[in-house]
This record gives sequence, structure tokens and C-alpha cells, in this order.
Amino acid sequence: MQRRDFLKTTTLASASMLVPGFLKKLGASAISHHGKVLVIIQLSGGNDGLNCIVPYRSDIYYKARPSIGLGRDELILLNDEAGLNPAMPFMADLYHEGNLTVLHSVGYPNPNRSHFRSTDIWLSASDENVVWSTGWIGRYLDARCGGCGSPHEAVELDDTLSLALKGKSRKGIAFRDPAALHLASTVPSIRNAASASLQGKTNEVQYLYKTLAATTESADYLYSQSKIYKSKQDYPRHDFGRRMKTIAELICSGSETVVYYVSLPGFDTHAFQKDQHKRILNVYSSALEAFVMDLKQGGRFDDTLVMTFSEFGRRVEQNASRGTDHGSANQVYLVGGKTGKPGFLNGMPDLGNLVDGDLKHTMDFRQVYATILEKFLGTSSEAILERRYDLVDML
Amino acid sequence: MVQYRRKIQHLYLRAGFGETPSRIASLQNKSLTEIVDDLFDCSSQYRDINYIPYPLNGREDKGASPYQVLKMVLKSRRDMEELNNEWLFKMTWTRAVLREKMTFFWHNHFATSVPFAWLMQVQNNIIRRHALGKFPELLHAVARDPAMLIYLNNQQNRKDHPNENFAREVMELFTTGIGHYTEQDVKEAARAFTGWTVNMKGEFEFIAARHDDGEKTFMGKTGNFSGDDILGFLVQDRRTATNLVTKIYREFVNPVINKSRVEELSEFYYGSGYDTAMLMKKIFTSGWFYEEENIGVKIASPIELLVRYGKLIALGFKSGKTQVRLQRALGQVLFFPPNVAGWKGGTDWIDSSSLLIRLSIPSYILQGSLAPVRPKPAFEEQEEEERPAREEILADWSGLGEFFFSGNGSEMVDGLLQQATAMDFPAGASLVQRIASVMSCPEFQLI
Repeated sequence: MQRRDFLKTTTLASASMLVPGFLKKLGASAISHHGKVLVIIQLSGGNDGLNCIVPYRSDIYYKARPSIGLGRDELILLNDEAGLNPAMPFMADLYHEGNLTVLHSVGYPNPNRSHFRSTDIWLSASDENVVWSTGWIGRYLDARCGGCGSPHEAVELDDTLSLALKGKSRKGIAFRDPAALHLASTVPSIRNAASASLQGKTNEVQYLYKTLAATTESADYLYSQSKIYKSKQDYPRHDFGRRMKTIAELICSGSETVVYYVSLPGFDTHAFQKDQHKRILNVYSSALEAFVMDLKQGGRFDDTLVMTFSEFGRRVEQNASRGTDHGSANQVYLVGGKTGKPGFLNGMPDLGNLVDGDLKHTMDFRQVYATILEKFLGTSSEAILERRYDLVDML
Repeated sequence: MVQYRRKIQHLYLRAGFGETPSRIASLQNKSLTEIVDDLFDCSSQYRDINYIPYPLNGREDKGASPYQVLKMVLKSRRDMEELNNEWLFKMTWTRAVLREKMTFFWHNHFATSVPFAWLMQVQNNIIRRHALGKFPELLHAVARDPAMLIYLNNQQNRKDHPNENFAREVMELFTTGIGHYTEQDVKEAARAFTGWTVNMKGEFEFIAARHDDGEKTFMGKTGNFSGDDILGFLVQDRRTATNLVTKIYREFVNPVINKSRVEELSEFYYGSGYDTAMLMKKIFTSGWFYEEENIGVKIASPIELLVRYGKLIALGFKSGKTQVRLQRALGQVLFFPPNVAGWKGGTDWIDSSSLLIRLSIPSYILQGSLAPVRPKPAFEEQEEEERPAREEILADWSGLGEFFFSGNGSEMVDGLLQQATAMDFPAGASLVQRIASVMSCPEFQLI
């Protein structure tokens, strides 16, 4: 058996004891991902996909949205049935270049309309009626190497780490800025505690010490990586723009990080939707534009997949406040040099066939995850998602 | 056998925000019952927070104009920072520590965030008033609270166009918890709450014309239910008691639930008519509360950590903004829960960056500056802030210095930590530096 296979199949805990210290420092995980990078963007609040990619030929659409519907003349036409919200023009470029795949009506059975709950469902990949306390990317980290590996294999650009990157035994690392993270980790008492012995300490105490040791290692690594490539693109002057820039720089530096996660809030458009939605879509579109430019410059676009999702869509009919309430199934956007099946992967939602005013899902989001895990990241998905899902024909 | 000093510290860290080692030492000749009674006595008297003035002074009869509303929203960021500081100050210096701790707990339970500081202050005082009272009264008061109604969009909940947000969260988060009702129940409850709104003076108002007074079927019962009826049904449901007690247990006893204890306490709470003071007294006078398994096992929340620093070394900041910035970096800003479910707590507080900051706080204090702490601005529309001027941190180490005058490491560990650790001070470390390094231990994060 090859050494690589041995490391893959042996008990991961004992394998980590066999890995010499210097290899651990390199963050070497046995399972290769062939340099692929997954970037996950959550449009949080519940993006109104129906007003992003608009069925401009649908009477039902205009009847349901007399004041917030987007007229045909406002839209950037994509094809003979759909037009794009003018606030996201870059998506049209991607569409025509063949670098955008749109999945329509992605959701799950018995959709939950609570932000908190539905976000947890998408992040944990659980069914609606159970609560899981780990996230699918966290469990991906567990599968790559449980009890070894480094937090920076999955990175979140934010102050706090979300459920997505929390596994059973491993967590990713959240930060906004690699330099600040590194500086914070070089305080002497921190470095001393990071190398302290765990003997005689309770579980809760050990948890803190272990987290600290892993942190200092990842901080050093990310810092050295961040100095390698500096973006020259124009990102929007918005927090999200900054974060996307950091991600681009790390990817182009050749960082061994496999997954980047970032969320853009502001999509919960219950009232006076049109302007708020336009503003936030514009931020998304322009940040994505600069990001893709950077990746192309750095020669990483073909290895990267950007998945954009939202915890739910919104109801077809507008409400009494010129907004929309929480809905269910929604679009998922996949952007990358090699998405495999550009354009609309499946059909637009049938607005005549709603469930209590909401879109029916025709694709389970876990199928999308399974496909990404298997075909893009080259890893088995069944253990990570705790079920076998049919793959989607893409990638 | 848990040392008595440690039990007293445990009580104050859970029922309050901790106390100085000298205060704890002075209590050692009192019995636990006396100390617990004292905690409750001190909380019988309290004061509201009256910092934010009523924004419509002199124009009460007219109510706010749209322009005034806009002004309030624009001012709210600064106002909320000030309100934040006011509450933190109160938590640190009040005698009514238990009431303040309960207010903090309910603040998370009824998580709300609206850009009207006056309304947030009103809500905070409502919660304080009922914090140790009966839960149904607290629930009814919060359900009519203007900040809550606005936050959960109930102003948009009308007969012809219901908005389910408020009804959903009342059921999912504030009472029974998820999984004990159907989507249809939520829709019917929403109908019952139609017409509950806020007027332009910032007061609760019931608009009958917007109210759906038709027959509703809610959790198996049918009738022309009002919002109050729905709240009544939810309180009658024992699962509300279980949901509340489970949260209280996690927060005050142990993040890991002891099922039979929670069941017993839930029955007790329900039977008492949801008397929160009685429940808390029962917890704090139970032997199991003081067992080793429950001591030093809770990761302090950012606010608990900051208030404790306030009590131990009078931690202060020249600018109130700095204090809020630190809260943001640690992941908890008073009056700004991440969503209506509040802060999850426990290991959720801990990840690489938040842990680094927690462990570095003593060294920031010694340097007198929080310059390295730079979370990005909370509000999306803002541009990149200028590199912050060196912010000044103020601290008074004299109290701890006197108590630990011998400089002995294990005395400091005993006095400040709920979990033991070996302390090796670097050569030449001053007394203050020694105390600071004890507070820099990961163990200091556990209360």
C-alpha cells in the first residue's frame, strides 16, 4: 500500500501521531484537493432571487408584484425568458462568457422560514426537523483529517466563526485581516500558553489551550501567505469588498486554504424592497467582478469555484409594505473557470405551481453540496452529509 | 471537596458578574444561605436607566414627523454606544447584581435591536422591572414593547396582509421553542396579533381596523383569539417552562444539561406560576450547584468578562467608543444581538481571533491601549475608518495589589481562577505584571 493510501485509511487520530512535527507545521493533510479552491458566499437575510433573475414573460410575476416587479425594459436580458436585475451587471458578463451556472429552485423539503433555522439548515446540511451543531465545511475538515490539520484549511472572513466551519473535532479560522491576526498572536504570554503542556487540565481548559496552539500556527502561515500577492483591482468601498479582496489575495498567493466563506448581510427586504435590494446587489456584483479579475490575473480562476446561496428566497407575492416575506426555494449561482455546465442548469420556477404562495424546490441543496464535494473537491460526500445524495450534472 | 472561598466566587460569577477577592474573603464567615438571601435583598431595590431623553420632548401630542424619525435613526449609533456604556457601568457598580444578571439573561432571550435608543432603553427597563418577577408578566410586557414590535415587523402585520415574523419568534424563541407547533399555528397566531403596532409617539397602540378578529384555530383550540389569548395559551403550555429552564440551566449552572434536574426545575417553575426569583433561589441554594462538575466550566461571555474586569480593576476607557469596539471584537455588543435568537454562547465565543483578544486584554491594559483591536465597522455603508488614535485604557490595580501583596503565584491563582494552573512568572516581573499574567491564562476565561 502506498504511504498516501495508508494515511488516508488509517485511524486519523493515530496517524497524526505518526506525522513528524515539521510536516504538521506545513499543515499537510493527507487528502489532496488538487489545488482546488471553493469560495462560499452567503447572501444573508433571504435574497429575493425572483427579482434577480426575472421571468419577464410571466404574467403571474407582474400580477403578484405590482409595485416591486422589475419591468422588461429595466432588465438586462439574458435569454428569451429571463432578465437580470440591472444592479448586478457583472453576472451578465459571466453568463455570456460561460462562467456562470444558475441552479433554479434549490431548497429542501418542508422549508423553514426562520433566518436562524434556515441558515443553520443550509450550513449544517441537516433536514428541517433535526438540529445539528456542526457545519458541512467543518465536517469536511473532519474528513480531510480529524484531530490533525490546521484551522486555516477553511477560512471565514468575519469576526466570528459561523456554524458552517465548525466540525466535530475541527474548526476553521475566522478573521478579517491576516496581518492583524498575526500581530495579535505574537504576544509572549500567548506564545507561552500555545506551547504549554495539557497534563492535569480539565476538558474545558484543554479546549482553550488546543485552540490557542492551532491558532498561532495558522496565524503565522496566513500572514506569510498574505504578503505574496497584492491585488490591484478596484473593489467596492464596502466591508464585503475588503473581504473579497483578502480572499483573492490569499488564493492568488497559493495558500493551502481549500474553503473560504463569507457572508453579505442586508437581504431581508420585508419593506420598501426595491432600493435596498438594488444597493446590496450592486455591492455583490461589483465585488465579484474585481474578485474574478484578480483570480484571472493570478491564474487561479480555473481552479476556483464560487458558490453563492441564500438561506431562503422570498414569497412570490409582494406584501403590504412594498417588500416580500420569507419564502423557500431559491437560486444558487456557481461562478468559476470550469463550472462544467454554463447557463441555466435547470428550468426556471413554475410560478403557476406554487406551494402556498412559495416556490417549490426542484433540487435539494445537499445535492449541490454533494456534487461540489465529489466532483470538485474530490472527496466522498456521504460521510460528510450523513446521507447519499444524487449528484447534479455539472462540474 | 470544594473550597468554601471557591463556592462563594462561583455563586457571584454566576448570579452576578464576579466580585473582588477581598470582598469574597470578607464573606467567608457567612453561610451560603445568608449570602444568597443577601443577593436577593440587594436586588429588591433598583433604578431604571434614564440616560436617553425622550426624543419628542415638547411635541408629545403630535408624535414624530418622518424627519424626526430619520434624525433618531441617524443619531442612533452614537446614542446606542452611550446606552451601551450606561448599562455596562450599571452592571459593574450596582448593588442589585442578581437583577442585573437576570436582565442581561432576558436581554438575550428577548433579543431585539432597533435604531431608536429611547425605545431600547424603554425595553431594557421593562425587562429589569420583571427580571425576577413572573415570566407571564414579563412576556406580556415585552410582547407589547414598541422596540420588539418594530424589530419583528409587527407594524406590518395587518388583517389583509399578515406578517408572520412576530408570531413566529414569540413561539419559536420566547416561549415553547421550535417543533411544538405547526406553520398553520404560526399563521393563526399572526392573525391574532394583527393591529398590535407602535404609534408615532413610540407607544404601543392597538388599531382595531387592522385587527383580524375572525375565528382562529391555534394549537387545537378555536375561538376569536386576541394576541393576549395566544400568549396565555403559550404560557399554559408546559413546554414553555422546559424551554426557559433549559436556557437558564445552561446559562447559570452548566452548558451540559442534567436532564432530570432540568425536568424537576421545570415542574417547579411551572408550578410556581413561572416565579423567576423562586426558581433562581432554588438553584442557588441547591447543593449540586456547588459541586466540582459545575464550577469553572462556563466560558465567560464577552460582557461577563468585561464587567468582571470592571469590578476587579475598575477597567475603563477614555472613550466609550473603545469599549464598544472591544465588545464587537469579542463577538457581543449589548443591544446588538446577531439575530433574534440571541447569542449562542459557550464554545461559540471561542475561535482563533476571539481567543487571542481575550488572552491579550491584560497586556492591552498594561500598555494602556487597544490599538491592535480593529474590528471592521458594524454598519455596512461606512467607509474604511481612519487608523484609530491610540485609545487610552484606564485601570486601577491597587485593590488587587493590596490583596496579593505577597506576589505569591498560587495565592493569585486561588483568588482569581476557578481552575488551577501552575504559574511561572518571568524574572523581574512586577506585582502588577504578575497579576496580569494570571489574568492572561486561558483558565481566567472559565467561570
